[in-house]
Amino acid sequence: MSLDTGRVWTVARREFLATVRRKAFVLTLIGTPFYFVFMMTITTGSSINAARKSISQFKAFGVVDSSGLLANAEHTMRSSVRSGDNPFQRRVPGAAETEQVFNTEVRFYPDAAAAQNAIRKEEIGQAIIVPADYLQTGHVRRYVRSAGLFSESADRAVSRWLAANLVRGKVEPELAARVARPLADEATFKLDKSGEFVAKSDNDELGGVFIPFAFAFALGLCITIGGQYLVQGVVEEKESRILESLLCTIRPTELMAGKLFGLGAVGLLVITVWGGAGLVVGLPALAAMHIQLPPFILPVAVAYFLLGYLLYGSLMLGIGAVTNNMREAQQFSVWFSFANFAPLIVMWKVISDPNGGLATFLSLFPLTAATGTMMRIAASGAAVPAWQVGLSLALLAFAAWFSLMIASRIFRIGLLMYGKTPTLPEILRWARQG
Amino acid sequence: MLEVRDVVKTYDGRAVVDRVSFQVQPGEVFALLGPNGAGKTTLIRMITDILKPDSGTILLEGEPVGSRPRGSIAYLPEERGLYRRAKVLEVLSYYGELKGLTRPAARTAALELLDRVELREWADKQIQALSKGMQQKVQLCGALIGSPRLLILDEPFSGLDPVNVQLFEEILHERRAAGATVLLSTHQMNKVEEVCDRALMINRGHMVLYGRVGEIRRTYADHAVRVRGEGSMDGLPGVHSMKAVDGQVELALEPGATSDGVLRALLERGVRIESFALATLPLEDIFVKVVREGIGLDHGASGPPTVDEAMAGGVR
Repeated sequence: MSLDTGRVWTVARREFLATVRRKAFVLTLIGTPFYFVFMMTITTGSSINAARKSISQFKAFGVVDSSGLLANAEHTMRSSVRSGDNPFQRRVPGAAETEQVFNTEVRFYPDAAAAQNAIRKEEIGQAIIVPADYLQTGHVRRYVRSAGLFSESADRAVSRWLAANLVRGKVEPELAARVARPLADEATFKLDKSGEFVAKSDNDELGGVFIPFAFAFALGLCITIGGQYLVQGVVEEKESRILESLLCTIRPTELMAGKLFGLGAVGLLVITVWGGAGLVVGLPALAAMHIQLPPFILPVAVAYFLLGYLLYGSLMLGIGAVTNNMREAQQFSVWFSFANFAPLIVMWKVISDPNGGLATFLSLFPLTAATGTMMRIAASGAAVPAWQVGLSLALLAFAAWFSLMIASRIFRIGLLMYGKTPTLPEILRWARQG
Repeated sequence: MLEVRDVVKTYDGRAVVDRVSFQVQPGEVFALLGPNGAGKTTLIRMITDILKPDSGTILLEGEPVGSRPRGSIAYLPEERGLYRRAKVLEVLSYYGELKGLTRPAARTAALELLDRVELREWADKQIQALSKGMQQKVQLCGALIGSPRLLILDEPFSGLDPVNVQLFEEILHERRAAGATVLLSTHQMNKVEEVCDRALMINRGHMVLYGRVGEIRRTYADHAVRVRGEGSMDGLPGVHSMKAVDGQVELALEPGATSDGVLRALLERGVRIESFALATLPLEDIFVKVVREGIGLDHGASGPPTVDEAMAGGVR
C-alpha cells in the first residue's frame, strides 16, 4: 500500500509542532544541559571549595615532640590548592593555572595536656603527639576539635610537613623537599588505542567515567523522550476517540509514519541542541582536560539515535495501540525504557572492561545497542572493533525494520479496539494476520 | 451515490454484518437505524474503509471506497474527541490538510465553517476552553471541512440545545442541497421522520427494514383511520370498533374495508370532518416493534432480500 507523503508530512508537522510548543518540552530541552553542567559543577566545585575552606581555616597546628626529632622543624606549614582541580569550571584555553597558597602556624607544646587545652580554647584545630619511641614504632596520636569531612588536604599538609622536617638539616634541602613530595611533578603515560604510550592527564579518570556516562545517558534520553511522546500521543488520540474520525481520512500506516517522523525530528532537535551545548560548553573543558573524543562519535551517535528511535518508537506505537490509557501503556513501556538504560546500570563493568563479554553483548543486543555501544566508544582506553560497531548497527537496523512491520499490523488493528486489553496470543495473532 | 452490495463481516465465526445491501443517492439524507450492537458501527467502518468486508462491495460514485480520494468521506462518530490543548483553528486546518486542502485553503475553509456555526471568535482559543456544545460544533466543522461527498453522522444531535439542533439541521439541508450524500445514524426517531428521506434498519447484522420513511410508517400502520370532526360515527359500515385518541376518533377497520369507503360513509352521514388520516405508528413504535418481535430476522421461504430487491429500495 502506497503512502500519501502529503498526509504523512501533515501529521509529522503537527506532531512536531504540538510537541515542541509544550512548556514541559522546552523546559526539558533547555533545562537538561544546564542541570547537567550545574550538578557536575556543584558536585566537584563544592568539594574543591570545601578543601579550600578547610585549608584556609587551618590557621594553627599543635605539636608535642617527645622524640626530639622535630627540634629544628619549621614553624610554618605551607599548603596549596590549584585552580585546575575543578575540571568543570570553564577556563580560557591556554590560560595559566593558578595556585593558592595557605600558611599554617605550627605551635609546639610541652605535653599532651597543654595541646588538648589549646584545642579546647580553640587556639588550634588539631595537634599531634610524637612519642619518644616514634622512630622505632611509628606511633603517633592526633587530637582534633572535629572530624571534618573534607580534611584530606589538611592531612596531606601535615604529612608533608612531618616528612620534610624529620630529615631537615640532616640531608640536602632538595632531598628533603623530594621526601616531602616524592611525586609532586609526576608525568604518567598510558597505552592508547594505537598501541603507543601517550601522556595521561590527571583528569583522564574523571573523563573516562563522565564522558561515556554523558553520551549514553543523553542518547538513551533522546530515544526515550521520542518514544514516550509517541505512546502518549497514540493513547491520547485513542482515549479521546479522535482516531475514529481521523482514520476515515488517513490510513493507519500514514498516521504511524507521520508520528514516527514528526517525533523523530523532535529527538533530532534535542540531540542538536544538547550536542551544540556540549560543543560550546564541553569542548573547552575537555580540551583543558586533554581528553580527545573519537572524531566519528557524533555521526555514530546520530546513526544510533535514528535506528534506536525507530526500534523503540515502533514498540511504543504498538503499545499505544493495544492499551486503553496512559497508565496501562506505562506498565508495558517501562520495561523497554529499562532495557534502553540497562547499560548505565552496569556502567562500571562496561567502562572498566569496554571490550569484555558483557560490554560486547550490550552493544550487539538491539534493545541496549544504542546506549551500550556509545558508552563503549566514549570510554577511555576502549578500542571498539569497527566490525562490532557495523554488526551492532546492522542488527539494530534489522530489529527496527522487523519491529516496524509488526507494529504497523498491531497498530492497524489495535487502534479501534476499546475496553479489554488484548492478551499476548491475541496480539501475536494480529501480528500474523494484520 | 453510495452503493453497498451484499456486504458480510464476520468476527470469530459470527456474522456481525450479514449480506447487507442498500444505496443512497446524492442529495439524499438516509437513516441507518438499529438497536445497540446491531452492526451499525461495523457497517460504517466498512463504508469509511477503516475495516474491510469479508465479502461484498462498497462503491462511492462507482469507485471502491478503498481507492477513492481519502477526503471524499467524512465521519462524525458518536464517541468523539478533539485535541484538547490545540487551538480550534489549528485543529480544523489540520483536518482540512489531511483531506487534501492546501494549508491556506484549509485555513480559509475552517474560518468559513466557524462563521457558519457562529464560533469565529473562538478560532484562537484552545479546545478545552470550549463548552461541550461548542466542541460538538467544532467536530461537525471537522467533518464538513473539505466538502466531502459522503457525510456520515453518528448521533449528531445528542447533547445539543434546541437552537443548535436547528442549526445542525439547517447545515444538513445545505449539504444535501449541494449534492452531498448524508448517512445519519441515530436513535432519535423523531429526527429521522423530520430530516430523512429513506431509512435502513439492521438488527443482529441483518436488514430488517428498508425504504422511504413514509412508506415504512404506512406499512406498519394499524388498519385504522383517525378522524377529527363533529357528528355521530357509530355503526359505520366497514368499522368494527372505535376509540378516542388525542382528541380524535380512531376507527378500526374490518378486514377488506378501505379508508376511502369509510370516508365516503362519514360524508354521507353528514359528519363535518376537520381531519382524516391513516392511523400510522410513530417510527419509534415501529422500531420497538421490529426489534422486540424480531421482525425480518427470519426471512421465511422468500429468504433474505436479493441484492436487486435491496437496491430497488422497496419496503420489506
